[in-house]
Amino acid sequence: MAAVRSQEEGGFFAWMMAPERRGPMLVAPALIVLFVMNIFPLLWSFGLSFFNYRANRQDIPDFVGLRFYERVLTDPDVWERFQTTALIVGSSVLVQLILGFLLALMFANQFPLRRVLLMLVLAPMMLSFVSVGVFFKLYYEPTFGLLSQAVRVFTGSTYAILGSPTGAIIAIVIADAWMWAPFVMLLVLAGLVSVPKYLYEAAEIDRASWWRRFRTITFPYIRSLLLLAVLFRTIETFKLFDIVYIITEGGPGTATETIAVYTYRVAFQFFRTSQSSALAYIILFVVIVLTNLYLYAVKQREREVS
Amino acid sequence: MAHLRVSDVVRRYGSVTALDGMSFAVEEGEFYCILGPSSAGKTTTLRAIAGLEPLESGSIEFAGRDMTRAPVQGRGMAMIFQTFALYPHMTVAKNFAYPLERDGVGRAEIEQRVGEVAELLRVTHTLNRKPDTLSGGEQQRVAIGRALVRRPKLLLLDEPLTNLDAKLRHDTRAEFKRLHRELGMTMLYATPDQLEALTMGQRVAVIRDGRVVQIETPRHLYERPLNTYVAGLVGAPAMNLLRGRVAAGNGGAMLDLGFAGIDLAHGDTGLTPGEPVVVGIRPHDIRLGADTGRGRVLEAQVHLREPLGDVTVVDLRLGDAAAKMVVREEVGVGLVEGSGIEVTIDPADLHVFHAETGTRLG
Repeated sequence: MAAVRSQEEGGFFAWMMAPERRGPMLVAPALIVLFVMNIFPLLWSFGLSFFNYRANRQDIPDFVGLRFYERVLTDPDVWERFQTTALIVGSSVLVQLILGFLLALMFANQFPLRRVLLMLVLAPMMLSFVSVGVFFKLYYEPTFGLLSQAVRVFTGSTYAILGSPTGAIIAIVIADAWMWAPFVMLLVLAGLVSVPKYLYEAAEIDRASWWRRFRTITFPYIRSLLLLAVLFRTIETFKLFDIVYIITEGGPGTATETIAVYTYRVAFQFFRTSQSSALAYIILFVVIVLTNLYLYAVKQREREVS
Repeated sequence: MAHLRVSDVVRRYGSVTALDGMSFAVEEGEFYCILGPSSAGKTTTLRAIAGLEPLESGSIEFAGRDMTRAPVQGRGMAMIFQTFALYPHMTVAKNFAYPLERDGVGRAEIEQRVGEVAELLRVTHTLNRKPDTLSGGEQQRVAIGRALVRRPKLLLLDEPLTNLDAKLRHDTRAEFKRLHRELGMTMLYATPDQLEALTMGQRVAVIRDGRVVQIETPRHLYERPLNTYVAGLVGAPAMNLLRGRVAAGNGGAMLDLGFAGIDLAHGDTGLTPGEPVVVGIRPHDIRLGADTGRGRVLEAQVHLREPLGDVTVVDLRLGDAAAKMVVREEVGVGLVEGSGIEVTIDPADLHVFHAETGTRLG
């Protein structure tokens, strides 16, 4: 009797896929992976930041409260790394914005080979950080690197851009901007093509100059997208690690050591696990503050528009 | 000396010729209409005059100056677009102020002129609102206001009533006439609607395939259309066009329409017997009832009735030809579909056109 009923009801698969269970069952694998790989380590490291613990020792962690937060916040090195990061973020995002903007203005028009060129320009964005890093490392290489070779044509001697602190920062900014200017371009381009053509014509009839049309018609349409681009790129660049680590490893000295590279060093070279956890949470806090600042700006803008 | 002269303007889009030798001249202070169906080249003509379209050849002269290559900003014209093209992110007041802000016009004067225009167009209550919160009629008036605020010498209007509902169209037609009278500026008005052209225009240019067909006052256009194209476009319901042939009648030419022959009263008509023609008669010129004193009486059959409220359009069958007739509503009620009636046609009301070229004969 019981066997007959269970056959009627179907097997394990049918039980799992019953309408009331189907949804939760389908999302369960993703949730489990998310929890095991993201949420648990996140909480665990948050916990570790309040304990004295080193990942390369077997000592029992002991609770020290906010000691490492205090240590990080009073560490002059941390402030220096924050300044380096801010400098790189500021200049890189600025260069990306300008380049992306100009590219978008160019690609908003129709011209021969536009599609092919557009694909080429978008390519850097699709590459992995590691390949971009390796590519620029070779590009900047003093003896056979392209840049050095090119400079030698004019000056007669090789040029090691990564040799000086300023040069190294410029090199990093160039690499990052090269990779991400297309992203800004995509956003701005989306804004540019969304401007109805007849508004430009109406403005022309209303005797507006090119600059005035840009200021009063184009810019309002792309302003919010620009803000979004700045937000994305600032947050992303703030976490910049791969490119810097591959091209300069933070050098010369600590000239290009961003806060992300510094955290990596503290965590995996000095094995100050707790201190690096605390630092990571301070960075997270900074990023959250930045995000909210921008979101506030975006909302403010929306209120202006509607 | 014409205020605006468009001469032999040609504009092509790839293999399509939008303007094919467009020529006409507008006098100062005139309300000039361009009438034509869609894709006849109305919009392109206005855009060419405004400078938004480059020309393949031809010239545009305005206020005594050659404007063919002048930049859009330097032509001293304003334009009202079919889509209104209001700046969606600016308030109505800002929209009004936009054309003024570059002249070095003082803030106080801008404010004053914006206020004047808003009052003229009765949109003062909307000044602080964005265009998308306005009704269609209000948007339309804002578009007019933005064009008027800098007091242009020439106002180009591109089907400004097309996006409005029927009631608003009627009101706005009157509004345009009032504005024209009060402001006295030259207005060039493009429309596909013959009613708008006839009611507002002092002169009307009928265009077809990028070329002018006929330029006349509305009255003449209606009474003596130059060809079957104009005849079909001007007047509602459209003129009946019947195939026929010229025959020799007693004492003059006769038109053989197949189902009947009509003697043309006027002696020498210049028509050659045997020639195939198209005979036009306006629906209003077909009269119900037999009245031999006024013209030729024909047998007809009532095919369909379309009551329009004040009048009824009656679809007639004359032999195997079809024609429309307009009668007063109270008369139309009495007509039974399928029944036979008698109608009278005055030969003087007939328009005779060449069968192939469609050109008016006689």
